[in-house]
Order: sequence, then structure tokens, then C-alpha cells
Amino acid sequence: MNIYHNVKAQWLAYAAFFAVLALVPVLVSDSFLLNQFATYGVFGLLALSISLCWGFGGILNLGQGIPFGLGAYGMAMTMQMQSQDASNPLPPFMLNNSLDHLPMFWEPFRNTTLGIVLSLIVPTLFCAIFGGLMFRARVSGPFFAIMTLAMLSAWYTLILDVQPYTNGANGITPPSPLKLGEIVVDPYSPAAYWTVLVLLLVATVTAKLMTLSRFGLVVQAVRGDAERVRFLGYNVAGYETLVYTISGFIAAVAGCCWVMLTQYVSPAQFDTTFSLSMVIWAGIGGRLSLLGAIVGAFLIQGAQSYLGDTFLNTWLLVLGGFFILVVRFLPKGLAGLVESALGKLSSRRGRDDGNGVAASRLVPQPGE
Amino acid sequence: MSFLEIRNLSKSFDTTQVIVDFSIEIVEATLCCLVGPNGAGKTTTMDLITGRQKPTSGQILFCNDDITGLDEHEIARRGIGRKFQVPAVFRDLSVRQNLEVAYSKSTNPIKNMFRFRATGFAQKLEEVATLAGLTDRLNVEAGILSHGETQWLEIGMVLMQDPRLLLLDEPVAGMTEAEIEKTVSIFKGLKATNTLVVVEHDMAFVREIADVVTVMHMGSLLAHGPIAEIEANARVREVYLGDAEA
Repeated sequence: MNIYHNVKAQWLAYAAFFAVLALVPVLVSDSFLLNQFATYGVFGLLALSISLCWGFGGILNLGQGIPFGLGAYGMAMTMQMQSQDASNPLPPFMLNNSLDHLPMFWEPFRNTTLGIVLSLIVPTLFCAIFGGLMFRARVSGPFFAIMTLAMLSAWYTLILDVQPYTNGANGITPPSPLKLGEIVVDPYSPAAYWTVLVLLLVATVTAKLMTLSRFGLVVQAVRGDAERVRFLGYNVAGYETLVYTISGFIAAVAGCCWVMLTQYVSPAQFDTTFSLSMVIWAGIGGRLSLLGAIVGAFLIQGAQSYLGDTFLNTWLLVLGGFFILVVRFLPKGLAGLVESALGKLSSRRGRDDGNGVAASRLVPQPGE
Repeated sequence: MSFLEIRNLSKSFDTTQVIVDFSIEIVEATLCCLVGPNGAGKTTTMDLITGRQKPTSGQILFCNDDITGLDEHEIARRGIGRKFQVPAVFRDLSVRQNLEVAYSKSTNPIKNMFRFRATGFAQKLEEVATLAGLTDRLNVEAGILSHGETQWLEIGMVLMQDPRLLLLDEPVAGMTEAEIEKTVSIFKGLKATNTLVVVEHDMAFVREIADVVTVMHMGSLLAHGPIAEIEANARVREVYLGDAEA
């Protein structure tokens, strides 16, 4: 039996991974670096959401920037309004765009709690409605991927176009860090890092439990043959919508964290390149493994930060080339590499025990 | 009271009529074989019963409920299970997981998020796996099963659903003589509690298991009755049996 498929071993790997991440603020004293690692956590959340949707559900989603961007804009609006007061209710960019009163949809963001709740609910609701419409009409596979891409471009254009309300291409730059009650979350503090890490941990554990549940099993069956699942009595559209929506919610959480860390949002968050890179992280790390996808995001973004300067304009080319290599030679990504290495190891051990069964052929039995 | 009743069913694709005014009644706890030459509309009839396609006109009543035009999953939940002509199993899941998905007592996605083991599954799994001869293969990926085993797995999946009506499209295609014999004994056992409709070309198999035989030709009913009656029917011999026996 390949230890890679042992559920207990998987949980141990998760524990080890998060233990290492928890050591980071102890070892890293440079606050700039800590902030950068925290943003990697945000990318980890995004890769996790893609792995859930694409890896487990088989729903290729090229528009994950939508819930991410909507969450980010919501958070930016909340933080912007924290710096405004009754005597001065209009953000400066609105004055520059000659607005004389706060637009209606900005009003709820004057309240921090309401603002954050909206930042999470609006993108989730969008995914539920958009996904529901698509999946009920049985749009799937590449057609769904194209729809998400089209929707992403539509949002990009919309946000860019309504300059007086969103500051267009310049984006929103809240002048001060997020305040939660009396606490100020300094983006360069360990507290900000811990916030992102805890959210990543909770999201990962929840997603893992979800894949082990009966819901996860049916979703994996849908990935294999959606048509067949219907004849077993499951409402496939319901399952697809739910997994897409949960994935969208995780992306919205990531969007909120992103603005908390960078104090900046712009239409670039809706850029197709960004949404495509999320898919590339998950693809390279291993979309079938939640942990693999997160590691993929860390590796690629880390490489971009440290090698990107060397390659500068050719970075996208390097990334694309690497992606092609992985798709061609490692369809299960780096996690697949680990899987087959461990499989070889345990089949050798199996032979030593006089057991000739090819262990790599065996598949997991959750719950045992 | 009839168990499954099809009334004046018609289905056309553009101008081609595939099913023409087809009516039939299936009695509970019997095994009915649906036979007919290629293109007679057997599989289309199954598609219409299970909701994969919507009829152009006509009605399908299951236990006196009108199920015409319902979605596939709603029909499946009422107790109609189906095995496909080309065996459809989840190739990247294990045999056990395949059977677990098919054990669809609870279908609500939100409730299923909090369920890790279905109640009564272990017992049912043992029963079905033994019946289908897959006890030793439970942890194997379904994609590497032989064709015969895949057939068994899909029959097993239909049994996991605990359906009241089983629609089986060519269940013995690609099976060896011994396997066919085993299938015959399983189907005869099922008849006591379930109702079966089997599409099959193998006339020896049909003779062995069928209580009643329905012959379709060009989308409509040609004959319906016990096997002896059907084999004596001159028109049936002409369009179908004659060619098959030759």
C-alpha cells in the first residue's frame, strides 16, 4: 500500500507543513520579508481553491480572479471608509472625479463588520448564481472554462470603466492599515502573518475533510462521469454549484487578506494573467493534492520574486514553458512525482515481504 | 395496478421518428426482455424511461405516478436503476468507492459534507461484492478491471442503489459462458423482489431468463408475450429471429 494514499500519513504531512509555516515568524525578523511570506499564504489559499474546484471537482475555472477581486475591492472599500469620517465622507479620488455624495453601494462599507461580511458574501453569492445557472444548463468542461474567462473580462472592464466609483485603473489605496475594533492590523507585523496562516490552515483542513466526506466522493465521481452520477440519484448541478461556490468563498477570503497585507487593489486583480497563474500553480504543484497545489503556489511565486528580476520580461515565457513541461511529463504535478516515488518505495518493500501485488495500483480507502 | 406503464410514447429527432406510438405494461416482480434488431429503439426507450431524453409525446407511469419528463436524478430516486450498454463506471475511483457512490440513500450535497460513512453500507457492500464476485478486487482502481469485471461492477452498482425497477442494457455482452450462467442465476434470484427489464441480443440467454419478451421493430411494438409465443410468431421470425438464428 502506497503510504501517499494513507489518510493518516496525509494528515501528518499537513501537520508538518503547517508546523514549518508556524516557525517562519520566529525565524524571520525582517518585517518586509514576513509581509511577503504572508502574501504567499494568500496565493496558497487561491491555489487551494483551484485544487478543490479543478482537481477534485474537475471544473476548470479560469475566472477565480472574480471572487478574489470582488473580495479585495470589498475589503479596500471597508479600509478606505475607515479613514473617512462624518465631516469628510468622500474618499479623495471621488472628489477628484467630482462626485458630491457617497454612492449608494459604498454606504454599507462605512461599517467595518458589515463591510467585511459583504466582501465575503457578494463574491460567494455571485459564484452561487453564476455557477447555478451554468451547471443547471449542463455547461461543463472547456465550455465552462470559457464562460469563466469571459465573465472575468467583463468584470475587469466594468471595474475599469466606472472610474468615479472605483478609481478605474488607479485602484483604491486605503491610507491606513485595517482596524478591527481597537486593534490595528499592521500588514508588516507577525499578527498579519498569523491571521493569514490560521485562515489557510482552517481552509485546508475544511477542504481536506470535505474531500474525505461522501460529498467529496460524489464530486470525484462527477469529475469522472457526470452523466453516470445522475442515474444514481444525485443532483449533479447541485454538487457542482456547491463545490464551485465554496472554492469561490475561499478565493474571496484570499482577496480580503490580500488587501489587508498590501493596502492596495486595482483592476489587475481581475487580470486574466493572474487567474491563469492560479491554475498554473495548482497544475505544477499537483491539482489532485490540496497540499501540492499550495506548495506549487509558494514555489512559483517564490521563484517569481527571486528569479523574476533576472528574467524580467521573459518570466511569463519561463513560467509557460515550465507549465508545458509539467503537463506533458508530470500530469499530476510535483505531488504526482512524490506519489510515484513513494509508490516505488512501498512496492519494493512489498516484494521484500514476498507480496507481489503492485502497490502503486492500489488506491485509497478513506476512513479505514 | 401496473408497475411500469408506457402509453403511446413517441420520440423524434428532427424528422426521424425513433419511437412511434409505443405502449407497454410491465408487471411487478417479473423479468421482461426487450429485443429487436439494431435501431429498433430499445436503448432510446430506456433513455426515455430514465429521463436521459424527453419524449416528444406520450406518458410514462411508474407505480401510477407520472414520471414523464422528470430529471434523471429524480427518476433514479424513485427507484429506477440503470446499467448502460457501454459499461459506465468511475475509472479513477476504486471498486469500493464506485459501490459507495452508488449506495445513494442520501443524496443531499450539504448533508453529505458531514457524512463520512453511510449507515448500512458495510453490510450492503459485502452482500453485493459477494454476489458480483468482486470481494478481492475492492481496493483496485476500476479503470484496470477486465471487461467482464467492469460489467459485474456496474451490475453491482445498480444493486447498491436498491432499485425497484432495474433496466439493464446488454448485461452479458463480453461475458464468458460461465459468467453468463452466473448472471442468469443472479437475475432469477432478483426476480423475487425486483422487476427487471433487460435488453439483450443473446437469444439463448433470453430464453433462459425471460418471463415475457417484448419485441420492438422500427420504434414500435411488434409482439409482447411469453417466449414460446414470440418464437412462434411469424412476423417476429421474419424481422428478427430468422436472421438471428440463421
